[in-house]
Amino acid sequence: MNCNKDSVNHELNLYFDNSATSWPKPEAVYRAAELQMRQMCGNPGRSGHTRMLEADRLIYRTREALAALFKVDDPSRIIFALNATDALNIALKGFLKTGDHVIFTALEHNSVLRPLGTMRRNGLITTTMLPCSLEGYPDLEFLENAYQPQTSLLVINHASNVIGTVAPLRKMIESAHKKGVKVLVDAAQTAGTIDIDIADLDIDLLAFTGHKSLLGPTGTGGLYVKVGIDLKPLREGGTGSHSEIDLHPESMPERLEAGTLNSAGLAGLLEGINFIRETGLDQIREHETALRRSLREQLMEMRQITVYGPEEAAECAGSLSFTIRDTDCGEIGYILENNFGILCRTGLHCAPLAHQAFGTFPGGTIRLSPGFFTKAGDIQFLINAIREIVALTEKG
Amino acid sequence: MATNCYVTFPTIFYAIRAESLLKQKDFTFKMVPVPRSISSSCGTALRCACPDLSKIRQYLADHQTEMEGLYQLEEDGFKMPIVKELQSDELQ
Repeated sequence: MNCNKDSVNHELNLYFDNSATSWPKPEAVYRAAELQMRQMCGNPGRSGHTRMLEADRLIYRTREALAALFKVDDPSRIIFALNATDALNIALKGFLKTGDHVIFTALEHNSVLRPLGTMRRNGLITTTMLPCSLEGYPDLEFLENAYQPQTSLLVINHASNVIGTVAPLRKMIESAHKKGVKVLVDAAQTAGTIDIDIADLDIDLLAFTGHKSLLGPTGTGGLYVKVGIDLKPLREGGTGSHSEIDLHPESMPERLEAGTLNSAGLAGLLEGINFIRETGLDQIREHETALRRSLREQLMEMRQITVYGPEEAAECAGSLSFTIRDTDCGEIGYILENNFGILCRTGLHCAPLAHQAFGTFPGGTIRLSPGFFTKAGDIQFLINAIREIVALTEKG
Repeated sequence: MATNCYVTFPTIFYAIRAESLLKQKDFTFKMVPVPRSISSSCGTALRCACPDLSKIRQYLADHQTEMEGLYQLEEDGFKMPIVKELQSDELQ
């Protein structure tokens, strides 16, 4: 395919990959992470001097801010992890016991599919995949018949990282709880863009990442663990407490945290959460929904394009996927970047089962994920670029 | 010679939680490194005047803050202090 490179403005670099990691971050996020590294020495929880205490206070405030965001009464039930993948591993490997049966949706990311796959291949657990519709909605009737006496956990991807469909969390949690089954929610795509009331929804375990819609740095994330659920720690080690015994503490949050925390990252994450609180989750959601609606409508005007996922933007979060007839999505992504300075993601997005459900396996899709800092004009530039590419595909 | 009282915590989370809660009220206290003579638990302890200990302990207990131990120390410069562990029911 030939494109006219003279028409390209390489300086623009429009960013449509916020589902991978959000960019840019609020200015305060960069500043806080740098300040933490420059001024706050000392290992949180260890040394006892005043600078260490400052680091501890910052980590405590970040935990409190997350607890407030998710409507959790007790901040000690939020533990820090490297990212959502890490948190999901802590949850799955800490919760599941030999002989357990797990139900997961077809929309799950490899961060769920791979730990479960390993445990299944090792003969530790059995699993059932909950199919979903072409629009990405889990089959609730199938769910009702999927429970077994050994079923201990239902894993739900709150929003598909491929097509953005938001799962009917309340209905699914109520269904699981009626059967005495706990629920693990993967909120990688939704924390910071959709209001999640953990207490009201009665969520048992919720994994989140800091570097997507929470607008923090990479290397931050965490897991909410409901009171009464005791996870076997995945890691043990230094916590700064009870150093005289070779037994990891039982008290949360340290029970599930070992080693030095990412205090610079968490300082940035706190500012990301502060930005969300000051801006208002509703306003963020409204802006992103409007962008998605406009993007989808204009993509749908091109007959060569197939857009996946629900028509109604308000039922989605984050990602929007499309394909152009008879083209390789990888090549389209390459042209978008090299000829138009537009950054997006193409392929399977670490969610192979979702693509099988949508009929886009193994070729994948072109995924566009605007964020809060995306402007309406950016969408227009993107659409014009896609129109140009589609016109070129017609010429062959 | 000075008499001070100390509260120790199972983890740093509860030490900082205690500080955060008490700062919002009119309590007089200081966060200090745990005196090695009393505990090797979390590295930060709360030091207060002994007559205030009962109210501080009660306030923290009422606000979901786990504590590990309560101590009274007779401190004399750099000499090893005389330590007395206190039970919550013996506080006034």
